[in-house]
Amino acid sequence: MEFAWTESQQRYREQVATFLEDNLPDDWFDTYCHGLGSPQQIDYARIFCPKLAKAGLLTPQWPAEYGGRDGEPWEQFILAEELWSWGEPRGPQYMNVNWIGPALMRFGTAEQKAEHLSRIATGEVIWCQGFSEPQAGTDLAALQTKAERIGDHYLINGMKIWTSYSYKADWCFLLARTGPERKAISCFLVPMNSKGVSVVPFPGLPEYGHLNEVFFEDVEVPLGNLVGEEGKGWEVITYALSYERVGLPRYHWGRKVLDTAVAQLQAEGRFDDPMVRAHAGRIVSKFEAARVLTYLVVDQRVKRTPDTTDPNVQRITAADACCELMNFLMEYLPDCLSGGERYLELFYRHNIPATIAAGTYELQLDLIAQRGLTLPRGR
Amino acid sequence: MDLELNEDQSMLISALQSILDRYRELPSEHRRDRSFYSLDLDNQLLTNGFLDAVRTPGMGALEAALVIAEAATAPVSVEVGASALIAPHITDAILPRPIVLISGDLGKAQRYLNVAKTALMDVGDDILVIAVEAANVEAVDTIYAYPYGRFITPPDLSKAQRLGKAAVAPFRQWSRVALAAECAGLMRTAVDFTVDYVKQRRMFGTTLGTYQAVQHRLAQCHQIARATHYLAMKAAWSGDPMDASAAACFAQQHIQKLTFDLHQFNGGMGVTNEHKLHFWTYRFRALQSELGGANGAAHEIADLLWGPVEAPRTPDTPALREAARRKGGAAKTPGMARHLDPALT
Repeated sequence: MEFAWTESQQRYREQVATFLEDNLPDDWFDTYCHGLGSPQQIDYARIFCPKLAKAGLLTPQWPAEYGGRDGEPWEQFILAEELWSWGEPRGPQYMNVNWIGPALMRFGTAEQKAEHLSRIATGEVIWCQGFSEPQAGTDLAALQTKAERIGDHYLINGMKIWTSYSYKADWCFLLARTGPERKAISCFLVPMNSKGVSVVPFPGLPEYGHLNEVFFEDVEVPLGNLVGEEGKGWEVITYALSYERVGLPRYHWGRKVLDTAVAQLQAEGRFDDPMVRAHAGRIVSKFEAARVLTYLVVDQRVKRTPDTTDPNVQRITAADACCELMNFLMEYLPDCLSGGERYLELFYRHNIPATIAAGTYELQLDLIAQRGLTLPRGR
Repeated sequence: MDLELNEDQSMLISALQSILDRYRELPSEHRRDRSFYSLDLDNQLLTNGFLDAVRTPGMGALEAALVIAEAATAPVSVEVGASALIAPHITDAILPRPIVLISGDLGKAQRYLNVAKTALMDVGDDILVIAVEAANVEAVDTIYAYPYGRFITPPDLSKAQRLGKAAVAPFRQWSRVALAAECAGLMRTAVDFTVDYVKQRRMFGTTLGTYQAVQHRLAQCHQIARATHYLAMKAAWSGDPMDASAAACFAQQHIQKLTFDLHQFNGGMGVTNEHKLHFWTYRFRALQSELGGANGAAHEIADLLWGPVEAPRTPDTPALREAARRKGGAAKTPGMARHLDPALT
């Protein structure tokens, strides 16, 4: 056991930092302040990601045949830490790299790989995740959107909700029901400009761009856009979600936000209060717990350790830390939600659904209890 | 970055476990005691070199922390942290042991004092090494699952060896690492013990462990134990005071929850000495307030990251330094520019 970064990993981190220093525009913070799902940030991602790709930093850990450079898996993680600490200028494209690409590598056809992996690796494309429905959030297997096989295509009808970035997306990684059995679900790659696809953004507590309804009315999707076998999409989803659930280094972002909050309190002469200082210190300990558990999970993934519940443990640890930081903001800097510091507001609003998205907090606890602690299923 | 034990570490822990396996049950005459200090196990750890990791080439503080955590899994108590981790970082001398750590009032009961041969005392600007005379110590009755003792007459501090001001910071830092490592072993075992119990215990026609209200809270307890373990090991590995404070702060702020939940699920049995739960829970309960408790560690974190209260109010964080460096231009790092000291912008 040891916790050191290797020399090459440190060099890589410095390379990323230098790239960001040199390439982010002076008005980047203004762009960032519109929010991760905003048109401004998504449009900027289309400029930034190709530059990142050209520098060999967008998909470093991908195999060379798919546009990567066979880098070690830790590099993706170092990249994410650095980028999130600057506000994630990749915008929605972090999803492409974290799980859409890996899912296609594992389950995609040769044609799908040829068409999509190169476009992801060059930073040209925006994807959205068409999973959740009004009656199927954490319980994804309850989804009702249907894909009916008719001749040389599937006919898709239904709706998705909470589909972040969809109003700007080129493609949707869609889950649809292809049979009556509960888990008879399949994955499809759907162009968002297909006839019959419409997106309706609606307002909510998270920042703009995350809450959208996507409607599919008699959308024709070629048979070749099915990912994996028909009816076996559950395997694809499980694989994809295992990548998604540790993809976001909230601790790195959270520590930066806490620094900003403390700086504001110091500037206002309010950080000498022992209760405030203790509260801030406790939050640091929670984010450091999330950090070390994230490293544990990445280490397990690198070593292809058989499945553990440590990713679930990491998820709830990070969620606890984020909730505590949001609470800190509400106790001491409540005006961040009413015209105050926008950086703090963005963190708060982005993390409102953090205990819900990609499997609720309670689902994580179920999995830890039943798979990790082997407690019996029951009431 | 490699969070698995290496071959040497695995062998070390495996060898320790084979010794500890002989101490998983208490001697029958002590079965209902509130605590039991095993001099026999103490001697086994000492003579087999388990307390020497810090001074052994190829090993170090991380191995010492692993030993502390593992030794804490036994229901019997034995002093490991001060001997294996703290003392070697503040003195080259091999101190007579067991060692008791003292800060604050000499008249109060101290953990391990009635079995200790040496006391290390934090007096603020120095660490004192005090030879403990057994005849000058009386045992103190407590429900904590450690032995406690009190000086009959306060020792003459003028006769104590002084390690100097330079020993204070490492004493506190390594004390926090030792505390977190010990909490990690205690928490893990208390959770495992309770998980086993709720799988057996039946209530309203089913086992207690089938209730989601029980499962969720046990999952959270497991999460706390897991996080504490890796925080403690990282702090031992890095030797960074921030990591030490983060590990202790995290562990100590969650002790209340673990105590409540685990005792709740062990029910009436859990409050009897016959049920072994208290041998772990009332050890981490004893550690909850040591070294200033979670708030003390949290203040240490705040001091390290954002400067002490007395300092001038110019913020000094890496992010703010970076923003200051850019003065004159728009800040790229989100949210920083508006909070800079006017002098910096």
